[in-house]
Amino acid sequence: MNAAELSVEFREICRYLGYRGTAPTPEVAEKISLCLSNLQKASVLSETHVVLPLESPEENVLVAGEMEIHSKNLYKNMRGCHACCLFAATIGIGCDRLIARAELTSMADAAIYQAAGAALIEAWCDVVNQEIIKEAKEKGLHARPRFSPGYGDFALTHQRDFEKILQMAKHCGIHLTDTLLMMPSKSVTAIIGLSETDTPCILQGCETCDHASTCSFRR
Amino acid sequence: MRKPFLERLGHAWLFCDGATGTVLQAKGLKGGELPETWNLTRKDDVYDLYCGYLKAGSDIINANTFGANLLKYPDPGYLEACITSAIEIAKKARADCGREDAYITIDIGPTGKLLEPLGDLPFEKAVSLFGQVAEIGEKAGADLVLIETMNDLYEAKAAVLGAKEHCSLPVCITTTYDQSGKLLTGASVEAVVACMEGLRVDAVGVNCSLGPREMLPIVKRLVAAASVPVIVNPNAGLPRTEDGKTVYDVTPKEFASCMSEIADLGIQAAGGCCGTTPDFIREMIAAIRQKPFREQTKKEKTVVTSFSQAVEIGEKPVIIGERINPTGKKKFKEALRNGDISYILQEGLKEEDQGAHILDVNVGLPEIDEPSMMETVVKRLQGVTGLPLQIDTTNKEALERAMRCYNGKPMINSVNGKKESMDMVFPLVKKYGGVLVGLCLDEGGIPETAEGRLAVAKKIYEAADSWGIPRKDIVIDGLAMTISSDPKGALATLGTLRGVRDLFHGHSILGVSNISFGLPARELINANFLTMAIESGLSCAIINPGNEAMMRAYYASCALLSMDENCAAFIDRYRDYKPGSTQTAAPGTAKEGSSSNPAAKDLSLKESVIRGVKEAAAAAAEKELQTRDGLAIINEDLIPALDVVGQGFEKKTLFLPQLLMSADAAKAAFAVIREAMKGTPQKIKAKVILATVKGDIHDIGKNIVKVMMENYGYDVIDLGRDVDPKVITDTALRENVPLVGLSALMTTTVVNMEATIKLLHEKKPDTKIVVGGAVMTQEYADAIGADCYAKDAMETVRYADSLFDN
Repeated sequence: MNAAELSVEFREICRYLGYRGTAPTPEVAEKISLCLSNLQKASVLSETHVVLPLESPEENVLVAGEMEIHSKNLYKNMRGCHACCLFAATIGIGCDRLIARAELTSMADAAIYQAAGAALIEAWCDVVNQEIIKEAKEKGLHARPRFSPGYGDFALTHQRDFEKILQMAKHCGIHLTDTLLMMPSKSVTAIIGLSETDTPCILQGCETCDHASTCSFRR
Repeated sequence: MRKPFLERLGHAWLFCDGATGTVLQAKGLKGGELPETWNLTRKDDVYDLYCGYLKAGSDIINANTFGANLLKYPDPGYLEACITSAIEIAKKARADCGREDAYITIDIGPTGKLLEPLGDLPFEKAVSLFGQVAEIGEKAGADLVLIETMNDLYEAKAAVLGAKEHCSLPVCITTTYDQSGKLLTGASVEAVVACMEGLRVDAVGVNCSLGPREMLPIVKRLVAAASVPVIVNPNAGLPRTEDGKTVYDVTPKEFASCMSEIADLGIQAAGGCCGTTPDFIREMIAAIRQKPFREQTKKEKTVVTSFSQAVEIGEKPVIIGERINPTGKKKFKEALRNGDISYILQEGLKEEDQGAHILDVNVGLPEIDEPSMMETVVKRLQGVTGLPLQIDTTNKEALERAMRCYNGKPMINSVNGKKESMDMVFPLVKKYGGVLVGLCLDEGGIPETAEGRLAVAKKIYEAADSWGIPRKDIVIDGLAMTISSDPKGALATLGTLRGVRDLFHGHSILGVSNISFGLPARELINANFLTMAIESGLSCAIINPGNEAMMRAYYASCALLSMDENCAAFIDRYRDYKPGSTQTAAPGTAKEGSSSNPAAKDLSLKESVIRGVKEAAAAAAEKELQTRDGLAIINEDLIPALDVVGQGFEKKTLFLPQLLMSADAAKAAFAVIREAMKGTPQKIKAKVILATVKGDIHDIGKNIVKVMMENYGYDVIDLGRDVDPKVITDTALRENVPLVGLSALMTTTVVNMEATIKLLHEKKPDTKIVVGGAVMTQEYADAIGADCYAKDAMETVRYADSLFDN
């Protein structure tokens, strides 16, 4: 998919920029549109995902392929799932380059690229997620909300497992630093539970996160 | 018996093997298991793998060493054992299969890490990691180095340099493109070929990621660009996952039929990658072997590249921006002395917006450490611009350091006909690659006539021949000497350009504006001379792209001389031309800060800062300076304006973009006022260090704080990102800094923030520490011993003001 075809909500970009209940001025709105269009031209979307059996040898422990996860939050999210999908997605290195350049010429542009990049990768993840839901449905499985390392008590160290299992560097160019940062910075890894029964009402996103009370980007 | 590899490569079909990883997976290798461990634990399986390909007819088999490097195998003894065993097993397989004619590669894949500045692996570390593998491989008896699956040009360069510096084997490289023909970090096929040929690899090519069908257009471009043999190793189609496993859909027959088409494009070696097996290779060889073999043809294109794009010299003149150069520029010299790299980078970015195709980089000043400054500027520039650079220095160390760390194939300014100069520069070009500017002067000085200069040019071409550097990589500088001292100066220069074009079929370059030195209205002479030079064959014009008279001459000349199809570029630029106007915005430059509101020009200083209109703020500051004192303007206009915005931000009536637009506008006004107040002591509230802690490579938050702090009168020492605790502490001690601001983005780097705070407390207890960043909270900040947690840039300013603003 081409980044220019991806629809990104203006509202989301404003949210990442800290706007609450106020619309940006026309000057800022114009800047945001221009930056988003530059960003879409500079972005290359890629993703990789794999479906694995999911086991739970004991409470709060999950095993997906080579990855053993100890997490209350994820365990709750995955209750009743016997399979899961791991995915990694990125909008590429273009956003990081645009930010680096804008930091020299206009900090406002840099902040907007940062926010637009965050909105773009989320929009891309939504597309990938939909595709995974569709593939699961074809096999009679229902997908749970996606859950990323670093979310709640799902340890960030599992990024290493994602790196190995998905071969992220090879398949979509996502590299980890020694401190587990992903580069390109606008990249996401996540696990999606797959169950035979449809379970609505599973809370997702901000509501389940431990940082919900302090996070400035909370929905 | 086996011919030396280079005697076969490019002279007859060579067939590579197929997949290693997917074949071993079929034999039981688990996802996440390191394949090279099998060289010691499952030798029979590795032996079978090799035998399969040797029997299928592969002439080149890859030792199972793709991921073998110290990052994945931290124990050097174990690493050496894995590599050595891989090659020992391959040699045994070769002998047992009766294939003594076949070659064994030491196979080198990517490190899995991204290189600085995008990632955290230093370039030189990568060079040594790769070098070590190549060295062990040669010792164990490999016949060649195959670097493969590289998806970043910089890492590819590190691998080639490492291999060449640590072993004497032939070096071939295949890289991995996406369907649009780009590496993951953006390099085009043409850029990769130019850079790799510059590094004198023995073959280039493509592997992995795509199937043969998808690779066809990429192979066409490779064959069109390359002068060395081309290797093509596709996957068995596009990968797809099924039940948790990666599968490929192309059958051996389909693969062979498509590879046969690819062979007809004029490649010299073929094999397979992921998903291919001995069956694929056998079928492929049967389909290709009887086809007529074509040797690669030498291409005559002159190409320089950045990390992403290739710029061709010759078709149409290119503009080389001359502004990154201290000569005659007070501000630039000051920036060099103060290490103000941002100023230098901004000059370059301005030139890019103005329409330069290549940027000349000259940072020579007698009182600075030029080699280290050159390396820094090149590294930083290539992180923010996609334009190729021209390294401009007479300092050998500066030249080598810049060429080494350069991400692409640079232009080099320059060599001349003196033996000393040629002996210094040619070996570097031979090793690192580059397009070299040859000045038409030698021990006898600058010849006065075109004939004299062409004789020097000839000498330079011949020296290039003797070094094995292709003539296409030489661009002759015809030397523009001012007509104010030599009335025939321009004639000699133009004659030289024509001679280079007509006699040598070569390319030329000029520092155009030298022609008018000492005359009034220089741009009149310069612009007319540029037109004449282009008509006489000038390939590269070193000019100031911000000078509209020169740009007009350039665009008009290209249109007149049929170098601008349908006059498209001319029309695009001058569509809205108004007779008598002196400025034309280059397309695409009307972006930052330029408000669509025409009334913005008449805003007062205070209004322009509040509304965040950068150009208006600078203009208003200029205007105010005509009647008022700088300090008064700061105190009565700028600071109150910043306060309005700051308070609005705190009350949430305005938001981050506006805060920053105002900050940028205020910064532009401050710059104008400071320039006017030069010599008068300026009030600084305090020195402040800002840094993103060790391990953290994102620094936008820190940079936002920086711009705000500077506007509020703080002298910011910006230590950048990924900064070691010791560097921060040492700087605080040396500069006696009372406040340090630290930023961290991830929970994994907060530990380094804590370590920094601990060290600061120990070594310089009177320094206050303010922290911020995405994961920071008040509780976290308290727990790690910070004096203040600031949730945004304004809070940092307020905290600093509470300490120092009295």
